Amino acid sequence: MAGGAALFLTASALLLWSFRGSEFSFGQFWRGIPRLLHFFGRMAPPDWSVWDVLLAASVETLQTTIAGTFLGALFAYPLGVLAASNWTPAWVHLPVKALMAFIRSIPLLLLALLFVSAVGLGPFPGALALAAHSVGVLGRFVAEEIEATDPRPLLALRGTGASSIQIIQHGLIPQVLPQMVAHLAIRFEMNLRDSAILGLVGAGGLGFYVFLYVKQFQWQKSGVLVLAIIALVFAGEFAAWQVRKRLM
Amino acid sequence: MPKEAVIRVENARVTKAGRTILSVDRLEVSRGERVAVIGESGSGKTTLMRMLKGYAPCEEGRVVVLGDALPIRERRRMKAHHRRIGMIHQHFDLIGRETVWRNVWHGRLGCVSLLGSALGVRSARDLAVCGRAIREVRLDDKRLRSARTLSGGEQQRVAIARALAQEPTVLLADEPVSSLDPALAEEVLELLLSVCAAHDLTLLMSLHLPALARKYADRILAMRRGEIIWDGSSDSLSDETMDEIYGFTGANGASNGSGAGAGRIAFAWPYGWRGRPVPDG
Repeated sequence: MAGGAALFLTASALLLWSFRGSEFSFGQFWRGIPRLLHFFGRMAPPDWSVWDVLLAASVETLQTTIAGTFLGALFAYPLGVLAASNWTPAWVHLPVKALMAFIRSIPLLLLALLFVSAVGLGPFPGALALAAHSVGVLGRFVAEEIEATDPRPLLALRGTGASSIQIIQHGLIPQVLPQMVAHLAIRFEMNLRDSAILGLVGAGGLGFYVFLYVKQFQWQKSGVLVLAIIALVFAGEFAAWQVRKRLM
Repeated sequence: MPKEAVIRVENARVTKAGRTILSVDRLEVSRGERVAVIGESGSGKTTLMRMLKGYAPCEEGRVVVLGDALPIRERRRMKAHHRRIGMIHQHFDLIGRETVWRNVWHGRLGCVSLLGSALGVRSARDLAVCGRAIREVRLDDKRLRSARTLSGGEQQRVAIARALAQEPTVLLADEPVSSLDPALAEEVLELLLSVCAAHDLTLLMSLHLPALARKYADRILAMRRGEIIWDGSSDSLSDETMDEIYGFTGANGASNGSGAGAGRIAFAWPYGWRGRPVPDG
């Protein structure tokens, strides 16, 4: 009982402290609502004259996502196998796990900034940022999936005289393939969402033009692009859901 | 009796975390024998199989299986050793998403080259051996079904076919029928014995039920606390010895086996099955 009360008090104190620290003010928010509506109001009606920009930017976002996800997966799967603690010795899986955790700890926008300063503006640094981020996130899921695989069928394959590579190809991959593809689909969906805002730091795609038009106060044009982002993310989510539904 | 010994163990000991979990003074199995290993769970049946397969290294003594002294350090020779010893497991251990045919083909992995298996190349011999193995376990009509959609008995038959595809000389079966209901268990054991006879395989199987051991094996090894406490022909296994094996009180150390291959009690646990000391009588 006393423990429950102490927990309740600690949690309340923590929440109070956090809300004060973030200068939370309900009144301020309430007074801000008209301005919020006004902001959306300025986007309406959407100015469809920028349809060529819309098309080009959407395609660019999609291309960046596909290239970045593919590049990330290319490194994430082998690294994920190396990071699985039941497959490799500690001196292999610990450094690989640490590397992936380090990559994950860098926020995506910061990664994009790094790559923009390295290779210049455009979709290319965006694809690189998505790839690096995917290695960190996807690699971890791959490792966890492999660690959770039933080891007994693999031992049975070893018992037939199969080598480690054969065991991976004929035992491990068939067992984890559906989960691997599902994780890839989710990663694609997330990357699509992320690539839409990478433009904020100059890394191409729809976000770049949203930001550009907002800076030029061309709200109705940016509104069109926001709609495109929403549509694209919806489509990505639907595609990923279809893939997962078919696998499970 | 002057048949060639395929398994020969002398004073072997297997330890785990500093504790002896298997200690075999002497064991010889000749070619073509069908041996059942009985005993309570934790008595060392699985460890004995794992030692013979080469998974659990013995720390001292001599273990020779098919002329190879264990443990084998060299990887290539270890693979060759694995290939000659088929193993069947309690939980079948198939790749459930793959077809029956592919699971059986996995038995050939030790015989095909890395590149060949990566590209899915199958030699005429691979096809012939796998095809024959599937026919022998009577799953020809289900060869393209995925293994997880089969019943337990059928899955164990796939596992037997996979072991046959290795073209082994020795077959180890670790609790092959413990996950099956009694009628299926007998069916699978009968199949196991018939394929062993057809291929002149030496069979070592651990069984939970002594009745099955008596019915299906020529020879029975009884284990308790990591040691073989009884070794003899299955018809010489008396009820008193059974009580001894499973820890009931009985005739102290007296073997009443008769005739050839009479049982020998090497170790008698001095406590009753409830753990109370048994008075000398």
